[in-house]
Amino acid sequence: MIELRSVSKSFGDVAAVRDISFSTTEGEIFGLLGPNGAGKSTTIKMIMNILAPDSGAILFNGKSISEADKDRIGYLPEERGLYRKVKINEMLLYLASLKNADPVAAERRLDEWLERFDLKEWKTRTPETLSKGMAQKVQFIAAVLHDPEFIFLDEPFSGLDPISTDALREFVLELAGRGKTILFSTHNMEVAEKICSRILVIDHGREIISGSLAEIKSRYGHNTVVAEFDGNIDFGTLSGMVANVTRYPRWVEIELAPSASPQDLLRTLVAQVAIRRFEVVSPSLHRIFVEIVGGKGAKNDSERMSE
Amino acid sequence: MRSKLSKIIRMEFRLTAANKLFIVLTILGPFLIGAVTVLPTLLAMNNSAMGSPETKIALVGADPSFVEAVRPAFQQAKIRVSAVDGSVASMDAQIQTGAYDGYMVLPKDLTTVTALEYVSKNAADFRVVGVLQGVIGQSVVSQRLVKAGIAASQVATLTQSPGIATRQLTKSGEKKSSDFLTVLMTGLVFAMILYMTTLLYGQMIGRSVLTEKTSKTVEIMLSSVRPMDLMFGKILGKALASLLQYGVWVGVSALIMTLLGPKIGVTLNLGLSLATLGYLLLFFLLAFFLYCSLYAALGAASEDEQHLGQLAWPVIIFLVIPVVMISPIITTPNSPFVVGLSLFPLTAPIVMLLRISVGAAQTWEILVSIGLLLVSIAIVIWISAKIFRVGILMQGKRFKFAEVIRLSRY
Repeated sequence: MIELRSVSKSFGDVAAVRDISFSTTEGEIFGLLGPNGAGKSTTIKMIMNILAPDSGAILFNGKSISEADKDRIGYLPEERGLYRKVKINEMLLYLASLKNADPVAAERRLDEWLERFDLKEWKTRTPETLSKGMAQKVQFIAAVLHDPEFIFLDEPFSGLDPISTDALREFVLELAGRGKTILFSTHNMEVAEKICSRILVIDHGREIISGSLAEIKSRYGHNTVVAEFDGNIDFGTLSGMVANVTRYPRWVEIELAPSASPQDLLRTLVAQVAIRRFEVVSPSLHRIFVEIVGGKGAKNDSERMSE
Repeated sequence: MRSKLSKIIRMEFRLTAANKLFIVLTILGPFLIGAVTVLPTLLAMNNSAMGSPETKIALVGADPSFVEAVRPAFQQAKIRVSAVDGSVASMDAQIQTGAYDGYMVLPKDLTTVTALEYVSKNAADFRVVGVLQGVIGQSVVSQRLVKAGIAASQVATLTQSPGIATRQLTKSGEKKSSDFLTVLMTGLVFAMILYMTTLLYGQMIGRSVLTEKTSKTVEIMLSSVRPMDLMFGKILGKALASLLQYGVWVGVSALIMTLLGPKIGVTLNLGLSLATLGYLLLFFLLAFFLYCSLYAALGAASEDEQHLGQLAWPVIIFLVIPVVMISPIITTPNSPFVVGLSLFPLTAPIVMLLRISVGAAQTWEILVSIGLLLVSIAIVIWISAKIFRVGILMQGKRFKFAEVIRLSRY
């Protein structure tokens, strides 16, 4: 279990992380969410003991992290890099050996992972020839090759094509199913929504919201409607009925005003466009994120609850 | 289970030694060193040994018997002299066509001669002029002596000037044969090898640390190992590779000297006593570690190759100073300035080695110099690991010393 207690870190005058606390439990996928520059990477680097916090404590099974603990952690840093002149299999086995992994088991797992990521023919080549996405997969392998109990992934999905994103998401779910604790950062809410059991949203280094996904959604479960349609909606006619609208070309996510009912909205919409789908849902994480971070700025949970 | 440090050392060793350029340099190194240091000296010392063609000189108006008498002396210097009769104009023409390389008009009575003229296309060929001066001059003096009534058989012994040999008094009180040229050569070769290897490996490790940053592998490395381990691993791995290369170079150079030395008529006595060899190794290692850790620190502090080059300039200057000053260091090894240089860590390895090889260094000076070097190395490695760690936070930013101090306080 990893526990952060009131961790803060500043670079000069810039407060990168302010008073962050959370803990992870075994076998869970914990999402560290926030916009660019929110302090996600700094938090992960502090957990990895690459940076030291200015104040607060980071506990690893109740104790300060030791050098030996590092062997039980797999880390995919935000800055992706590989030795350009070293063959991929050599590089990966070297990194695994630096985690004190059993060489034979590591080699067996290496073949499995290369196979699964469709990188078999790259095994004995140097990374110079790899595409960016492939290099990212190789680095993901580097993070998990020593079969760590804890896996920290900093923006693991950035720069991946949809197929690779799906594949990686599946591997992450599978690893969690095998009891690994996974902590990953992302600004991609859709991915987070699909795989996280719990999240922590930070902005400007501060905690905005935290908890299990279901809990957060119900907390923000205002009347939200998703409508798919053909035609053009005159949003002016909806004023008074909606609190917030997120528009996409063919569909909208609408947060209803407290007094309005979905039936009223549906009637108004039917008059204007051909409705293909109309559903009352819990708000998407994206919606919640934009609302908290973009709309109302940083406020802590208790204030929000009393609103 | 082997330690992480030893794994890093192994990887760095492999990365260095399994490199094509490294292998080529290992093989070509001795030849390159020879070309840079020994050849120019050899060329200046003994041109004839280098297989330059015979020089043909006409002695105009000379007595054929006189020419026969001096011919062997000229022959030794690869100069063929012949007695020729002809006008100055016809001789000039023959020089132009290349029939002769030069000519000298000799009067019938050589004993009264005070000045002679040598005409050639290459007036700067001081070797030929030197030989002419010696052989003709010697003959003229001999003829004068004979004319003055001294027996021809005695002339040679009378005109023989004594040769001067130099003997170096070593600490053990034993006098060994040595001369300025040998010490200079020894010092030059030592200094060049130290200079070249520290420069070569220093820059290599500077770049290697920099690459760790630019290729962004540093975070993944630091998620597994301590910065000090990474730094020590890099320096030690490269040190082992360098020792391997160094060993090959010294071995092959020694072999070449032993095999080829006698054949080209020059035996190079590098004066490599066991003690000097020990000091050479010791100071090589000290210089290597000092400069590598310095370069590692610079690599950690810089953001690209160009920046590294700029930061490295002051360091390179300290490597160049002793090489440029070899002559004054050897001739006045105990002047306060030279003693100072031999104690100052950045110049100490080469300067102290030179002072030791001319036998001028006191034991306490050597010990102080080694002590200072060891302390500097420890400090520099510590600082470079600090900068290295701090450097991660400063990607894309120029390195400011004050900032490093501030950031390193965690």
